[in-house]
Amino acid sequence: MEVVLHLPVVPNVELVAAKAVETLGGALGMDQSRVEAASVAVVEACLNAMEHGGGPVVVRLRSATEAERACLAVEVEDHGQGFDPERAPRNRSSRILGRSTKRGWGLTLIRELMDEVHIQSAPGKTLVYMRKYVENAP
Amino acid sequence: MNEEIKLSKDLLGPGLGLIAAAGYINNEGGQAIADAATQLMDEGAKTLLIDLDGTRIINSIGVSILLEILERTLDEKGKLAFCNLTPTISKTFEIMGLVQYAEVYPDRDAALAALGGDATT
Repeated sequence: MEVVLHLPVVPNVELVAAKAVETLGGALGMDQSRVEAASVAVVEACLNAMEHGGGPVVVRLRSATEAERACLAVEVEDHGQGFDPERAPRNRSSRILGRSTKRGWGLTLIRELMDEVHIQSAPGKTLVYMRKYVENAP
Repeated sequence: MNEEIKLSKDLLGPGLGLIAAAGYINNEGGQAIADAATQLMDEGAKTLLIDLDGTRIINSIGVSILLEILERTLDEKGKLAFCNLTPTISKTFEIMGLVQYAEVYPDRDAALAALGGDATT
């Protein structure tokens, strides 16, 4: 199973990707809470790609098997300036009150809500790879 | 997956306001909740209960607006509480630090019993 979405930058288009996660995750037998966690992570990846990529976003979703475990694999691609994932801010919940800006949680949420995340970024192309396993680790 | 947020608000009793929100909590959904919170606080509510029954998906921009509501209630020596959170929304609130300062209840009855409101309102 594979779905490829070419998303224009229009309000709430990230929900199209979330709907695809819901549909494919459900077809794989993923339970509702895992589907919803993956949906929020993919929404954040799409929002980041649209905000920093400056153009249309490509989202590829497919069923996969890794080490004999079924999973939903998602790639979100943009064509912006790129960034160094190692230098991306890692927000901490203990520092939330009193900050003038409360933005910048996207990558933190993606890393916490997905089972595996890998980012490749260079000027002109950023790829965020994410996996959510159908079941919790044994 | 409904993107449009449905919102209602009520002043339940002395100092207690209820906001029920169902739908996508993004910048617009978060702002709609913030506007309702402002109105309830202007009417005297110091404690706000936000019931998210029917909300399945949120984003970090929406949650950042909820954090601003939290700061406002704390500035006013009030309290912010949530109920009917999905496991993912609960985890998102935990990651972003909201649950350190806000109270979370499993459902509206439990919240109102703890906060001193009337569940039938």
